[in-house]
Amino acid sequence: MRRAGCLLLALAMAALLGGCAPEEHAETIFAMDTVMTLQAWGPEAEDALVRAAQRINELDRTLSVVNEDSDVWAVNHSGGPVTVSEDTGALVALGLELWEETGGALNIAMYPVVRAWGFTTGEYRVVPEEERAALLARTDLGQLDYDPDSRTVTTPAGMELDLGSLGKGYAADQVTELLREAGVTSAILNLGGNVQTLGGQTDGSPWRIGVQDPQDLSAYLAVVEVTDGAVVTSGGYQRYFEEDGQVYWHIMDPSTGAPADSGLLSATIVGPSGARCDGLSTAAFVLGVEGTADLWRAAGDFEFLLVDEDGTIWISAGLEDRSALAAGYEDRRVEVVRP
Amino acid sequence: MRSTRSWVAVTAAVLALAALAAVLVRVLAPAGTVAEITVDGQVVESIDLSRVTEGYSFTVEGQWGSNTVEVEPGRIRVSAADCPDQVCVRQGWVSDSASPIVCLPHRLVIQLTGGESGVDAVS
Repeated sequence: MRRAGCLLLALAMAALLGGCAPEEHAETIFAMDTVMTLQAWGPEAEDALVRAAQRINELDRTLSVVNEDSDVWAVNHSGGPVTVSEDTGALVALGLELWEETGGALNIAMYPVVRAWGFTTGEYRVVPEEERAALLARTDLGQLDYDPDSRTVTTPAGMELDLGSLGKGYAADQVTELLREAGVTSAILNLGGNVQTLGGQTDGSPWRIGVQDPQDLSAYLAVVEVTDGAVVTSGGYQRYFEEDGQVYWHIMDPSTGAPADSGLLSATIVGPSGARCDGLSTAAFVLGVEGTADLWRAAGDFEFLLVDEDGTIWISAGLEDRSALAAGYEDRRVEVVRP
Repeated sequence: MRSTRSWVAVTAAVLALAALAAVLVRVLAPAGTVAEITVDGQVVESIDLSRVTEGYSFTVEGQWGSNTVEVEPGRIRVSAADCPDQVCVRQGWVSDSASPIVCLPHRLVIQLTGGESGVDAVS
């Protein structure tokens, strides 16, 4: 009887403990022109998330293109060399690296063009060709000088940087590292569509990340499984305006100064670094299927999922076993791109 | 000795019942989908969508502007808003926790919790 009682007690305790998962902690913050949700599990998460929110706000101030105290403002308004913070320096360096790697499809100096189209002010207009050509003359990153040792940025007259195409991804990397150092082993961040994960779910299984259907904003068309990595999507559906029945979206093609027109509706990049995925997703949206496939073959450190104008989904071979079409999308045409 | 034994038995029985209850609550409770509406992080409205039987709408007036929210059994949307970008309106109906409705200019977020969603986040 006593042994049976002890056994029963042990079993009951196990059942109760088994039902007790690590506690979830969450933060929602408005920063970098978007809403961000941070979720992390375990006792270390609560304090770490408060510091994570502070870190994001700090990055927002430093990287903001409109805050007059920011590094980026200083670079854009000084006319001479500017010494920047480690964060800004890291992003300028990454921006230059991606500019070369993508053949100019990612360009951190497109701010004057984006502004002319009205995406920074809400006063949208279609920019005529001669004006675009004049604006593009101010976006030649070959003329930007960055010295990593002194963290000094020197821009030619008329150049204006905007690190927005990398900032959210970089913030996600920084927060992930902060949480990891605090001892958190399971977290998921959604920085306005920049999804980043630390570890897997508390039961060890991978995170399941939906990829937005660019033609139906209340649905996702595919699911990608990720442990310790980033999933970033760039799409024309996020910000756009319509004029005379034509849609103009906010992602500009640096070679034309007009909205990217590569045949894609959205480009999703999956990889270890949020900042790199962020920049590559913009570049992929500009480059289209063939250009992105070439980039992927050359780099080998990321995977992609592209949705084209016909609704066809193009995935890189590495996602074949890690992704699936969502319910209701089983009939969608999928093309697998191989090395 | 006898009293120790009975205490063990009683404790075990209570714990076993508690464990059973915990399991039953999880398995049997209907998956209630609750929509929480916040403005700048402050909860202004919380609606159990699984208990909505008839559609209705109401307006959330925040310090940055107003959004008209429409509710139907199991789903919710922003049907009108005086924000410049209309991103919240264009998103349409939402019935699971995957993608919250966000009106950035008004700092309004409608986040669903509970219920069934096949994904942890949407990119």
